[in-house]
Amino acid sequence: MADGSPQVSVKFDEVQKSFGSVKVLEKFDLLVEPGEFLVLLGASGSGKTTALRILSGLETPSAGQVYIGDRNVTDILPKYRDISMVFQSYALYPHKTVAENIGFPLKVRKIEKALVDSATLDAAKQVQLDTLLDRYPRELSGGQMQRVALARAIIRRPSVFLMDEPLSNLDAKLRGYMRAELKHMQETLGITTIYVTHDQIEAMTLADRVAVLEKGVLQQLATPAEIYNNPVNLFVAQFIGSPPMNVVHGSLEGNHFLTNGAKIETAVSGRVENGILGVRSEDCAIAPPSDKTLNGKIYTTELIGDHTLVTVDWGTDQIVVKASKAFDGKQGDNIGVILPSDVLFVFDEVTGYRIR
Amino acid sequence: MSDASFKFEKSGRSLMERLFEPPAIGKMSLVAKIVAYSLLAIWSVFVLFPIYWVIITSFKDAAAVNQGPFYIPFFDFQPNLDAWRAQFNIDRFCDLTSILRQVYLLVHNSFVFVVSPVISLNPMELQICKIYLAFTNSVVISVVSTTLCVAVGSMAAYALARVQYKPKFGNILVFVALLVLVIVATTYAGVPWWASSTVALAMFFFLVRSVGRYFKMRLGNNDILFWIISQRILPPIVVVIPVYVMFQAVGLLDTHLALIILYAVANLPIVVWLMHDFFANVPIELEESAQLDGATRFGIFWGIVLPLTRPGLAATTLLILVLNWNEYLFAVFIATVKVQTMPIMVAAKNAGEKGVFWWEMSAIIVVMIIPVIIMSILLTKFISKGVLQGAMKG
Amino acid sequence: MAGSSQRESWGEWVDRHSGTFFIAPAVTLILIFAIFPTIYSMFFAMSRVRFTGDGLKFRFVGFRNFSKQFFGTDQVHFLGRTEPVSILAMIIFAVIVVSVLVWLYRSRKIATWVGMLGRTVSASMAIFLAWVLCASLLSGNSIGTLYTTLFYVLVGCGIQFVIGTGLAFICSQPIHGKNFFRVIFFIPLMVTPLGVGYAMKMIADITKGPFEPLLRLFGIENWVWSADAWSARLVMVVGDSWQWIPFIFICMLAALENVPQDHVEAAQVDGASSMQIFREITWPQVVPVAVTVLLIRAVEAFKIVDLPNIMTGGGPGTATESMTLHSLFVWRANDMGTSAAIGYLLLIVTVIVCASFFNYVVLGRLRRTKA
Repeated sequence: MADGSPQVSVKFDEVQKSFGSVKVLEKFDLLVEPGEFLVLLGASGSGKTTALRILSGLETPSAGQVYIGDRNVTDILPKYRDISMVFQSYALYPHKTVAENIGFPLKVRKIEKALVDSATLDAAKQVQLDTLLDRYPRELSGGQMQRVALARAIIRRPSVFLMDEPLSNLDAKLRGYMRAELKHMQETLGITTIYVTHDQIEAMTLADRVAVLEKGVLQQLATPAEIYNNPVNLFVAQFIGSPPMNVVHGSLEGNHFLTNGAKIETAVSGRVENGILGVRSEDCAIAPPSDKTLNGKIYTTELIGDHTLVTVDWGTDQIVVKASKAFDGKQGDNIGVILPSDVLFVFDEVTGYRIR
Repeated sequence: MSDASFKFEKSGRSLMERLFEPPAIGKMSLVAKIVAYSLLAIWSVFVLFPIYWVIITSFKDAAAVNQGPFYIPFFDFQPNLDAWRAQFNIDRFCDLTSILRQVYLLVHNSFVFVVSPVISLNPMELQICKIYLAFTNSVVISVVSTTLCVAVGSMAAYALARVQYKPKFGNILVFVALLVLVIVATTYAGVPWWASSTVALAMFFFLVRSVGRYFKMRLGNNDILFWIISQRILPPIVVVIPVYVMFQAVGLLDTHLALIILYAVANLPIVVWLMHDFFANVPIELEESAQLDGATRFGIFWGIVLPLTRPGLAATTLLILVLNWNEYLFAVFIATVKVQTMPIMVAAKNAGEKGVFWWEMSAIIVVMIIPVIIMSILLTKFISKGVLQGAMKG
Repeated sequence: MAGSSQRESWGEWVDRHSGTFFIAPAVTLILIFAIFPTIYSMFFAMSRVRFTGDGLKFRFVGFRNFSKQFFGTDQVHFLGRTEPVSILAMIIFAVIVVSVLVWLYRSRKIATWVGMLGRTVSASMAIFLAWVLCASLLSGNSIGTLYTTLFYVLVGCGIQFVIGTGLAFICSQPIHGKNFFRVIFFIPLMVTPLGVGYAMKMIADITKGPFEPLLRLFGIENWVWSADAWSARLVMVVGDSWQWIPFIFICMLAALENVPQDHVEAAQVDGASSMQIFREITWPQVVPVAVTVLLIRAVEAFKIVDLPNIMTGGGPGTATESMTLHSLFVWRANDMGTSAAIGYLLLIVTVIVCASFFNYVVLGRLRRTKA
């Protein structure tokens, strides 16, 4: 790492967690490489925060082991795990100044005051807070409070950073700025980071790898590009991407997808009675209705600015297509959608798995 | 740039830390558990023992009490009902049929009291078993007083939360000055109180109209709230002597009504303090939309705000009920002969008895404290639901 | 309908003035039964009152009922014996006076003239109380009802606060049966004080109470606690604490549970031990509630009367008499003027002590955290 100490890996080994009869995390296996920025992505109730809290030591798993580096930390208190955590609400101590907040982790370890002060100044400089050291948290803006929480986390140079949705309380513009700051800082310091979020844009932009969770089960662990272009099941495919991937119901026969009387050529073949055809909005195109296209009526058009989203009715489904910003179709017009076979995904509706 | 990474090793801990450090978050170390549970157990014994002692003493006979302490019923001593029989057999009106008749008499007399401004009926003579009388008095006075107190207090608290008051400070000074004049006139100059009061009231309205226009300084809701809540600092002893004289002048001494009113006033600050908080927490949009629909203020208060604050109202009512049940000072000044509440009965017996008849006293005390113990258990259920949290912050 | 400007109905008129109608009952009741009697009481206090054939007769005597308590016949009853004054007591008194005056001097810069007036009043009360303390107790003399009441308030509230907060701290840890303890610990608060007093009297009895074997073991079975002034007062404090510690317990437990879980967890991850968390994170957030609870308890403690009355009847002599009890006894002796005067003295002491505490401690804290 930047200060010379080795980077550590993090391992979840068959970790399970139940609260009473509710199973929150099921057989969770995950290996985080040293120095990696790993994002745990999922909706609320997916178990991502629970996994993070188990790693931090604030919860104990019902079964399974947790390793930081080579050490088995499953039964060890948080303070011995050499980790730092940034909470969603920042958890700044209201009656302490910014400097005292940042220096608190060192103060409780009974480090001498001089060392604490210099380390505090260093950490504050890294997040550009060195002019606000005497303020109290209630006098700070949201972004400043977040940076105090960050400074408090980095002052100790821990082996692992844990972050629980740290950007969700910020407004959109600030969020974008802080994303870049976070990524830069992690790259500089090189500390292994586990980051929890429900926002797929944060996952895509920040992560080295993304672990998608749903209902306590790990769905896919891969790089952002891989997750986007090669989703392993329907849930992942629909969770990532904005606007979400289009789904069309039908069935797969050989290498043709049959839906609503149309026959669409696909790159994969198989036999699926209840199938789902998936296609991303930017991969399909709008064209005048013909027998080479899927034909339907325009449900609505939305001008985003640099492109237009055209929603086309198709049976009981709707297909959203990204068209040029000059598109001038209107609600109710007949329109065609071009679906090239190499961009299509086919899923089994019952299991959700992708047909390859 | 700082160099060292500040690791935290287990070996650097002091003995105390090692003993008390929890093995995991959400658990306690063995030493900590032992210390905690022992202290809690000791305190539980300290809390429950006096109550236990009183209860078993009420089941002892004279020998069991006087020959030294006996601790466990059936083991150390034989429990018997001497004390209880003594209480309920003092006069001949303590058997079941008499008690039923007394209930009927009580209902009848309450009806007479209520309709007395309109129809004049004769209350029937009550022949009542002494402890039953004291108990009934306590129940009636507590319940009616609590209802009055909570009703008046909630209305005032609601108004203070929603309506902006701006009384002129000058007017208040005028009022106090006139009050002093009334007292001087009545006590030293011998003017009858109704005459001086009426004249003063008339002067007040006149002065407010005329001179009041020139007063600028105004007080706000918070001042009024503070004034009401600070009434609690007033030691009852200061108030009780003039009140005694006042009640004697209108013939209300030693009546239920006197105690009912006094208890209501004494606990008004608590009700206002607690309920103000609850009312302030009701989202004002609910009331505003009802106003747009044409509801009157009382309609909003009764139909929307009160149902929403029901837990807080219930908790406050229970608290005031207990406070009224336990009250002693006002009762000992105002009502000691005809209208005895349970505390007065206990105090009277304690002061005048022929010796230490502890078992009889214990029986009375058990009767006195069982209702409040039940009410306190109910109240704890409310508190543990976090109902009174907001008031704590206030 | 255009311009239906009929006179508003009776219901509408009431609704328009609803603000007045809502608050009128409360204000009227307080005016008649609290404010009026308080002012009227002053007239009692400054008169010699007698019941005659046709009502009450007041004879104005100025401040004689008051001065009796300080300089006249009732001085020993009220203030205690104040002579002889020991050297040690004089030294302590001098130290206290100097510190109070220094505090007053330093406040010049931060207070308005109204504030300075208030501080002078507080300072005067402090010096007066210090003089009584030094002249009576610290010189080895007996104390009167004024200091007995203060003893109940200061020592009682102190003990109750420490034990109550300690219990609340224990109950805020992850222990089983928290709700069970909450219910049990709450009961004493609601038990009728007279019942408490009598139960304590029975328990504390030397020959027949439950501690008799224990006392026999220690060889003190002939010691009667109610015959010694200080042991009697201590027993009173024990009884009062039994009843009032639950109040502190409940309020402090609520405050401790209101500390945001996030802050505690962040401190745990940061590496703080339980003691450090309590000292650095929990306690500072709980202090505002703590001082408020202490203030409320103190205000109520000044009024104590049930317990001394039933446990010792004010004895031995007048050792356990609180000021309220003193006033009650004087009233029973048909001296309403003096009774009212003592009541007023209690009011003055209560208001000045509690207002000072409120102003300098409670508000001082608030000012410091807002600055």
